[in-house]
Parts: sequence; C-alpha cells; structure tokens
Amino acid sequence: MSGEPAISRLLWWLVNSSAQMLESGEREAVRGDLAESGETGSQALRHVVGLVIRRQLSIWTDWRSWLTLLGLVVPLGLLLSVISRRMAATSAVYIWMYANNLDPGLFAYRGFWYQFADTVAEIFKMYLSLGCWSWTSGFVLGFASRGIIRVNGFLFCLMLAFGVLLGAPLYLAYYRHYLQRTIGFPIFAHQHYDPVNALIFYRVMFPLIVQAVLVLLPALWGMREGARAVRLRLLFRAILWMTAIAALAAVVIQNPDLWMFLKSYRLARTPWHGWQGRLLQLFAYWPLVFMLAIAIARRLPGGRVVSHSVLP
Amino acid sequence: MIGEFEYLVLTAAIHLDENAYGAAIRRAIEAATERRCSIGALYTTLDRLETKGFVKTWMGDSTPQRGGRAKRMVRVTAKGNRAASAFYLAIMRVSRNVSWEAE
Repeated sequence: MSGEPAISRLLWWLVNSSAQMLESGEREAVRGDLAESGETGSQALRHVVGLVIRRQLSIWTDWRSWLTLLGLVVPLGLLLSVISRRMAATSAVYIWMYANNLDPGLFAYRGFWYQFADTVAEIFKMYLSLGCWSWTSGFVLGFASRGIIRVNGFLFCLMLAFGVLLGAPLYLAYYRHYLQRTIGFPIFAHQHYDPVNALIFYRVMFPLIVQAVLVLLPALWGMREGARAVRLRLLFRAILWMTAIAALAAVVIQNPDLWMFLKSYRLARTPWHGWQGRLLQLFAYWPLVFMLAIAIARRLPGGRVVSHSVLP
Repeated sequence: MIGEFEYLVLTAAIHLDENAYGAAIRRAIEAATERRCSIGALYTTLDRLETKGFVKTWMGDSTPQRGGRAKRMVRVTAKGNRAASAFYLAIMRVSRNVSWEAE
C-alpha cells in the first residue's frame, strides 16, 4: 500500500469516502465487487460515484423526501438561523459591554457582581435554550429522515449556512422595518450609532460562531440520536416524538415572529407568555433529560442490556 | 414488459444459477454485450427487479479475493423467469423473417 503512487491512494480514498454515501450492505457488496474485478482507482471511483448519483436521484422521486425537505429542513434551518442571529446580537451587546468596556474599578462594588451574575445566567439560559432547540430539530430530522439522513444532514448544513449568511440578516432587516413602521421602534441606519455592530467581530464573526457552536453541532448530534431512536420500541418512539414536537412547538410559539405575523392578520393580541408558555419552555430542555437517562442506563449494571432492552 | 438491460440481468442470473452475484452478473453481461457494464446500472436495476418481485437478493459469503467482503447474491423468482421468457419470445416474434446480413 505504501508503495502505491499518491494519486492511486488518493483515488481509493475518494472511492471509500464516496462509498460512505451508500447503505452499509450495498457498500460492502460494491467494494467487494471492485476488489474482485481488479478495477483501477479511477474506474472504481467512476463506478461508485455513478451509483451514488443514481441512488441520490432516486431519493427525490419519493414524495416523502420532498415533504421532509420542505416541511423540516428548510423551515427549521431558517427558524434556527433567525433565532441564533437574534440571540447572537443580544448577547453580543452584553459581551461587548463587559469585554470591551470593562472598568476594573467596578470590581469593588457588590452591585457590579450582582449584575454580572444576572447577565451571565441570562446568557447561559439563552444559549442553553438555543442548543436544546437545535438538538431537538436535529433529532426530529434524524428521526424522520430514515434512509436519507446523510442527504438531509448535508442539506440542513447548507440551509444553516444560507440562513446565517443571507436568510436571517434579510429577515431581521425586514422585521426591524416592520417594528419601525408599526410601533416606531428606532432603526440604527448607520453603524456609527451602533457601537457593537461597528466592530467586525460582533457583526460578522460572532453570529457565525454562535451558529456553528450552538446550532450546527447540537443539530448534528441530535440528528445522530434521532436516527438511532428509530430502532426503539413503538412506545418509546411515540413518547420521544411527542416530546420533540412539544419542544418544537415551544420554539415556534415563544418566537416573536409568529405573533408578529398573526398580529398582522389580526389573529392574535399578545404573545403566549403565561403559564402555558413557561410549561412549554420546560419541554425545550428535554434533550438534557434524554441524555441523562441514556447516560444512567449505560452506567447501570448490564448497561448494554438495559440500553438495548428498549429495542424491539 | 421488462427492458433490455433487465432482460440481460435476469438471463445472466438464471445462467449463473447459485453463483449469481453482482460481480459475476456484470462479467457475464460484459462478455455477452462486449460493452462495459457500470456497477451503478447493475445495482439500481437489481433493486428495480427486486421491487417488481422478479429477483430475490441477500448478502452472501465473503471470499479472500474480495478482500473479505460479502457478495450480494441474486436468485430469479418464478415471476422473473416468466418476465424474461416473455421478453425473449417477443424479441423472437418480432425478429422472425428479418435478415440482419449486410445488404
């Protein structure tokens, strides 16, 4: 193998990487066929890529793939991008306040520390919610995608990239104009009036970091768990599915955007911030309970048996 | 009615009998048609034939020459046999009294 030319090793690496897009049984058979027929790296790559393309194209002849794309990938990708961009903007103000304008003289005041702890707790809660929502979105997507999880995972990543770079900024600009038009909310038309956004780190890089760490990574993790949960018993699947749906409902209901549009059509008066909203918010943190339960089950004596006892 | 390539796959699999699997069917088709047969075309056709109930496939044994990887074994069902036979008869009927010699 070490004596092989670099180009051949690269081609075989590409063959193996492309073959990852195939189902495990088919991958095994195809790689065996290639080994048996003694194909060169370039021929093998052509065969595998050809099969992968045929498989991917056949996915889109099924209406369920389109339903998952249009009903989950696109709306969840955009919604999470908008929420993440909004949270990044809010937390950026506090981070800028403490990181860029800190006066060490304030350390002596108890009030400063009280306010600091309050801010940290608020930002932590905000980030935890975003991470849990992203995980839940990934879980639902992984659960619903079945055989096309890799494709949907890739499309979801594309959607998040589009959302953070273009979709969310455009939407939030529209949202600000809407607020200005309806309630006279001031708009900072120029960066000189907005010291946080005047800094390129907070305007460009920080939203990308928030999107990558608190949306992309938890969503991919949730997607993996969702795909595994497909093998659980029907009762467990039903419980997980209902909890995930309730958590997603919490995201949508607690988001100001839904109320803005309902209000536009005179269908709602105020956002749902009562006890119902707080109860739904609890559902948002269900990934923590899920992960805790999985961790405990694995640590129990005969943990493997416990974790598999829920499988049919 | 099955297509031309489906007929080739079915006939090769019937001919190979218990030794019918991906690489062997591909070799048989390439030998018969003197053309390259892509793995993509073969495996998607096998899926289609299986969906129609013309073949049954399963993962078989692995051999050292395959790098220890399993084969996708193929068996033609009675329905597949009838479909291949119908295609062959249609080709025979339509070809009757046709001379392919160069004019």
